[in-house]
Amino acid sequence: MELQKINVKVFTAEPKVPLTDFIDVFHGWIQATDGVYLDVADYSHMQAGPGIVLVADDANVSIDETDNRRGLLYSQKSKMSGSNLEKLSTVLRSALENCQRLEQEPALRGKLRFLGNQVEILVNDRLVAPNTGEAFEEIRPEIDFLARRLYSTTNFTLLRNQQDTRLRFNVTISTPLSFETKTLLNNLQAI
Amino acid sequence: MEKSLTWKEKIAEKMPAELAREIDIFEQQMELRKQGKIDEKVFAETRLRRGIYGQRYDNGQRHDGNRIQKLKLPADVIKGPDTLWDAPGMMRIKIPFGGLNPEQLEVLAELSEEYADGVSHVTTRQDIQYHFVHIDDTPSLMRRLAAVGITSREACGNVVRNVTACPLAGICRDETFDTTPYAKACSRFLLGHPDTQDFGRKFKIAFSGCQQHPCGLVTMHDMGAIAKTRVVDGKEKRGFALYVGGGLGSVPYKAKLFDEFLPEEELLPISQAISRVFARLGEKRNRARARVKFLIANLGIDEFRKLVLAERQKLANDPRWTAHLPSVNEQTEEPLKAGVSLNGGERPDGFDAWYATNTYKQKQPGYVAATVTLPLGDASADQLRALADIARRFVKDTIRTTVEQNILFRWISEADLPEFYRAIKAIGLGAPDAATIVDVTACPGTDTCKLGIASSRGLARELRYQLGEKSLQLDEAVKNLRIKVSGCFNSCGQHHIADIGFYGINRNVKGFQVPHFQVILGGKFHDNAGEYGVPIGAVPSKRIPEAVLSITEYYVRKRLKDERFQDFVRRIGKKEIKDLLEDLTKIPDHDVDRAYYSDWGDPREFTLADMGIGECAGEVVSQAEFTLAASERELFEAQLLLDAGRPRDAAKTAYASMVRAAQGLVKAQDPGISEDENQILAEFTSRFYETQLFWDKYAGGKFAEYMFKAKEFIGAGKAVDADRAVQLLQEAQLFIDAAHDCHNKLRVGVASAVKLDSIAQTSA
Ligand code: SF4
Repeated sequence: MELQKINVKVFTAEPKVPLTDFIDVFHGWIQATDGVYLDVADYSHMQAGPGIVLVADDANVSIDETDNRRGLLYSQKSKMSGSNLEKLSTVLRSALENCQRLEQEPALRGKLRFLGNQVEILVNDRLVAPNTGEAFEEIRPEIDFLARRLYSTTNFTLLRNQQDTRLRFNVTISTPLSFETKTLLNNLQAI
Repeated sequence: MEKSLTWKEKIAEKMPAELAREIDIFEQQMELRKQGKIDEKVFAETRLRRGIYGQRYDNGQRHDGNRIQKLKLPADVIKGPDTLWDAPGMMRIKIPFGGLNPEQLEVLAELSEEYADGVSHVTTRQDIQYHFVHIDDTPSLMRRLAAVGITSREACGNVVRNVTACPLAGICRDETFDTTPYAKACSRFLLGHPDTQDFGRKFKIAFSGCQQHPCGLVTMHDMGAIAKTRVVDGKEKRGFALYVGGGLGSVPYKAKLFDEFLPEEELLPISQAISRVFARLGEKRNRARARVKFLIANLGIDEFRKLVLAERQKLANDPRWTAHLPSVNEQTEEPLKAGVSLNGGERPDGFDAWYATNTYKQKQPGYVAATVTLPLGDASADQLRALADIARRFVKDTIRTTVEQNILFRWISEADLPEFYRAIKAIGLGAPDAATIVDVTACPGTDTCKLGIASSRGLARELRYQLGEKSLQLDEAVKNLRIKVSGCFNSCGQHHIADIGFYGINRNVKGFQVPHFQVILGGKFHDNAGEYGVPIGAVPSKRIPEAVLSITEYYVRKRLKDERFQDFVRRIGKKEIKDLLEDLTKIPDHDVDRAYYSDWGDPREFTLADMGIGECAGEVVSQAEFTLAASERELFEAQLLLDAGRPRDAAKTAYASMVRAAQGLVKAQDPGISEDENQILAEFTSRFYETQLFWDKYAGGKFAEYMFKAKEFIGAGKAVDADRAVQLLQEAQLFIDAAHDCHNKLRVGVASAVKLDSIAQTSA
């Protein structure tokens, strides 16, 4: 299986920030870069929807509300090269870097915190990776390896939502302890 | 694990062959465009006819509030004039009469996740739209739709768009008869029909089961049919009151009555005849006047009718005209459960309010239709999957999208309603606001549309929020008003037919651009969009919610007993309402409060710099140009056959590509040229070869002779080796190039003739 379109969601602590506040933040990011981001899509009127999406050609960044659980979703869109492990760790790192950038935003400082104890990996391509046990077993070693690095010596679990095979391939890595975004990024550097 | 399969391979068995072939052809056209072998305008209209639309910023630049940024997108390939290949676009998917089943909902959900931004958007014409789609993903997207019987063909472009119909058709207590089978037949018959391929502009059709209700919005369509019956020789006969030439846009036109009773068997032939007259006489150069409404206004309805009836007489009988008629009386839908009335069972919290606004008792006893309101027409993938489950649990496959951007579930056993309500409430779609002032309709506006001036969705979101908070205290007369918002005068949000309508404009306030909305009051949604609203004046975007409150409060205070909003607006007059809004037209200076100088949900300083050239009008591409582009594609296919080690098939296809190019040239002079090879060759020979129009300055008639020789060679049935096939392919390329040259020469000739003509007219 050659993974593409990998998505990573990092959950936030209790939402204190109104969802629409991220619109201004993302527009600020657009101004601070030069043509990387294409647009901001506002879906704040939807329940448990895609939230606020910062659209780019390469990868979208969004404050996603799926399942009524807010988190930063990093959605890789353009084709990646390298091994599956390399791709997974690159996307995970990008997601965490965006979390860190949000935490450091002056408008959000002190109001936004990522939990760090749970990360969801999705593959947004049902052809490459259907949500089946077989696909899970095939990719499990890489995810396992990644999770070991991410959470260092802490125990973790890998859980796939297998209730609904219509969903995209998904695995949630969970650990009982809380981790700072910075620590997770440091841990990932070992890969 | 099936890891090496493509979608094309994986679902090959599930796709109807014709749809599969069309998508293959489109994929080849994409490849040719990337190679620069299809003209950008021809490709733009080609992709529009596949439902692939441009989107804001696809020219590769965007104003960030301070300056224009050049977007980091490859700029070497374009998919239309000033439209970058890699820029995300919009994909419109046709849902004839809004009919959907659970399997289709599931696929729509999957595609929105994988190819768009996770949202399926219901449009004001019962379509589904995705945004932020990469064109390279569209063939797979279309194949997956085709596998569940959906096509995006002719969802955009200068063709017959989605055929809409009342979502209550078949279950309505007031309908004359169910128009569903007719809408379906009309949609199928006109899709890809040769007589609908050469319009100067789009053509919209709607069906309605009755005159008095709004559902079909017949009078704002290019062609609209209202169900009628008549007793002839003691027998009830079905037919339609047929209207033509309606349309919104910047100047709304009400459709005119073409025939007060068109017998059912004449519906399709007359549609075909109308299409032929529109294609022949409709404006092609000036898009702003190219809709059929202008043609009818110019000719007068009587002359138009005369021309159409004359055209009808010329049509050769087509069995498809009446093929659907034997089964129109059969009920097309089956309920999942027996109809049991709602009596005494437990009612969940909020149920009564929802029941009052969102349900409709069907004519079939014990059954109810329920509207699931989608905020701004948007549904997430999870919501669509859940709705598919809900459909399987309560109604099987009787789901329809509505022009009010909602989803209607039909055939719910009334006793199931409390459970149904619980299920939709659990996914955030249980709001009690269908057909109320809270359920605001909006076009995409500046969110994604290249022509958007102001944020229609931003305003609609804000109004939903503010009015939703107050909804319980709103006077009953106000609660039932409709608000519709368009991002510009083009009226995709249908503001003309709302009680309270808005469209986006720009106003300069002390040197700053300020988003405004023009207020249009008193449009009539009822009577099939019976009346258009009156423009009152412009109000700054950020003050529109206050304007809505002011207008509605005034209405409650000043209305006569039971006076409807439309009558109230006309009675008190424009001046009084304008005076009422006068204070709201003012805003603080820029240095006092900058909030007024940006739009809803968009903190950037307001600017028009992001507006682009819209694609609503499509590209006016002649049939000759389309046919020449098709010849290129056939030649490309010949190359693929050669690469696959099939030289004989490659040679035959290369020859066919030359005939196609010849047909393209003939079409420029005779649009009715048939598909018959011999006739094409005869016409080509007499019109282009013998007259030397096709001759090259240096090569003379050599390129035409390639085709004549190829015909002989193929006809002789000789063996074809790879070398001979390569030679034939090269000759075909030269022939097609020469055909393009010839067509260009003809065009230049026509253009200069027209120019001379206009100079003559001006000086006359
Ligand atoms: S009304 Fe204007 S802004 Fe809205 S979709 Fe149509 S063209 Fe775009």
